Amino acid sequence: MDRIWHSVAFRLALLCGGLVVASVLVLSSVFYFVSLGLLARNIDSKIMSITEKFSEDAETNGLFVLAQRIESTLSDGVDSDVEILLLTNALGQKLAGNISGWAEQSTPLDQTMDRVVQRGDRFVPSRVRLHKMTDGSLLVVGRDMQDLSEIGSLIARAVVIGGVSAMLLAILATLVFRHQLERRIWAIRHTTQEIEAGNLDRRIVLSGTPDEFDRLSADINRMLDRIQHLMEGVKHVSNTIAHNLRTPLGLIRGHLEEALRGVPEQRKLEEAGYFAIGAIDDLIVVLEKLLQIAEAESGARRQPFEPVLLRTVVTDLLELYDAAAEALGITLIVDIEGEPTLPGDKDLLAGILANLIDNALKYAGSPADVTIQVRETAQAVSIIVKDNGPGIAANERAKVVQRFYRLNSNRPGSGLGLSIVSAFTQLHDGTLFIEDAQPGLKVRIELPKLLAPTL
Amino acid sequence: MLPITPTARLLLIEDEQDMARYLRKGLEEAGYSVTHSNQAQQATQLALTEHWDVMIVDRMLPHEQDGLEIIKTVRQATVQTPVLVLSALASLDDRVRGLREGGDDYLTKPFALPELLARLEALIRRANPSTSSTIDSRQLKLADLTLDLLSRKAERAGQPITLQPREFKLLEYLVRNQGQVVTRTMLLESVWDFHFDPGTNVIDVQISRLRNKIDKGHSTPLVHTVRGVGYRFGLDG
Repeated sequence: MDRIWHSVAFRLALLCGGLVVASVLVLSSVFYFVSLGLLARNIDSKIMSITEKFSEDAETNGLFVLAQRIESTLSDGVDSDVEILLLTNALGQKLAGNISGWAEQSTPLDQTMDRVVQRGDRFVPSRVRLHKMTDGSLLVVGRDMQDLSEIGSLIARAVVIGGVSAMLLAILATLVFRHQLERRIWAIRHTTQEIEAGNLDRRIVLSGTPDEFDRLSADINRMLDRIQHLMEGVKHVSNTIAHNLRTPLGLIRGHLEEALRGVPEQRKLEEAGYFAIGAIDDLIVVLEKLLQIAEAESGARRQPFEPVLLRTVVTDLLELYDAAAEALGITLIVDIEGEPTLPGDKDLLAGILANLIDNALKYAGSPADVTIQVRETAQAVSIIVKDNGPGIAANERAKVVQRFYRLNSNRPGSGLGLSIVSAFTQLHDGTLFIEDAQPGLKVRIELPKLLAPTL
Repeated sequence: MLPITPTARLLLIEDEQDMARYLRKGLEEAGYSVTHSNQAQQATQLALTEHWDVMIVDRMLPHEQDGLEIIKTVRQATVQTPVLVLSALASLDDRVRGLREGGDDYLTKPFALPELLARLEALIRRANPSTSSTIDSRQLKLADLTLDLLSRKAERAGQPITLQPREFKLLEYLVRNQGQVVTRTMLLESVWDFHFDPGTNVIDVQISRLRNKIDKGHSTPLVHTVRGVGYRFGLDG
């Protein structure tokens, strides 16, 4: 019972049912009182007007004329079965009428009231009005209310029957409504329970009618798709990370073991130690980069975005990489039009460019030209880093942003550079394009100047 | 790599026993007199009541205490002892906070001991500028090398050296920190104001280009490589 009471469907249905019943009751009672009340008022005013007319008649023409008139009224066939009339003289003797007399002395005069009156051999509920005339004679005008009270009880019975059936219908509707609601919600709950149990690929079956539940279910399904996609991504990433950490760890272990085998030699130990430190430092760098990617991908900005002057960032980077480029026989060309500015994190934007320049220095070959181009439109800033080296084959371009994906594993590198670029670009609501520079590689980043509001 | 003062007094605030032992050993070998505390309250007391040349503060202390709170308290008491913040929190945001709360330098774990020593040395040197006697506001001098800070021009043995603006800044930093070991990250942070791993050995290439301009054709080299650590600028190797 408690469970049922806590069901929203039940309470909602109960409320609706209650309202239906209440409105039926209100409607019937209004009908009852308006119709019967109107009849009663009509009867009262008719009684009053007859009383007035007859008493006037008696005062001007005398009792005899009135008695005759009463007799003719009672025999005219109009309402004769419900009319009640009586005229007595001052002594209480009946002069005319269809009731035997008025015995009750205490009846108040000139008031229309409910009384039980004997008509022939039966007693009937009636409305009556008594009027005493100046000569002491008594006029009784009334109406048999038997028919009206029958109509009243008929209406009352109809109201009761109607009310009860409305209530029954409301209860039935409650049950049906609750059943429907439960059935739809059960479908959702069933699916969520299965997902909770580990079946992540389960989805809510839609009923096919585009109602509220189907829309909700479709929303939930979409959310589940997204979560599953992210989970798979996370799984893949952790697998890759574990894989990529195992190799260097194995190497470190091997070197140390080898150095300690047999009689340890000072030189061998030293070498192994230096190797281990170097390899661990590389691992630290890899972990730091992974953390940076994770931080950026979580979408959390480390500091509020502020307008960044790209010319300054590019110049700073150029003055860092120029010596390395020179040594490799690579020419760095900067091509900036105007003063492109965009809201962002200066360090992250520098990180994007540093990784792209670093990649170009590593893979463009020598001699080569590396161009850093910045263009600004009203809505966006595009940053392009292109070289005239060998480029990346079309079928590899999508893969190079994956973590640890490396085109040539013989070259030094972590395989994280473009993943960082991609994550940092996304944090700036930007889009990364890897294109053909014909010849060479062209990495283009489109960054909006107006950012979507953050939550 | 000996500190400037004969035995610089160092307060080490670090709760991890193994790390503290390793640090104490390394620091003592480098000539520091080390006092270690693993507890925030005691450490704050020590920092406030005794004189220290430099402090190392670990951020994560027992009972959810943040080492930054110690620094805040110490700074509020207007104690200006240079502080190096040690932390496993690597994000730039944490770094910025560490420096804003009164830390003078920030180093993330894991780190190389030589990096720590070089940074401590730089902190002490910066706190006691009187020890670097050759510095005045217009000119820097080391042996036959002169840097004019106003015209941003350099010359060695009377011969002008052509330097790009950033190269001049790099040289200026090296001269100001002459005799000390400076690491690659210190250079990247101080000269370029970048706080990320630039990938290839860009700093080494920058230094070798500078070395070509400064030392080529001179009998006494001024730029020296310290293996596995960084560089030292000065007359003696």
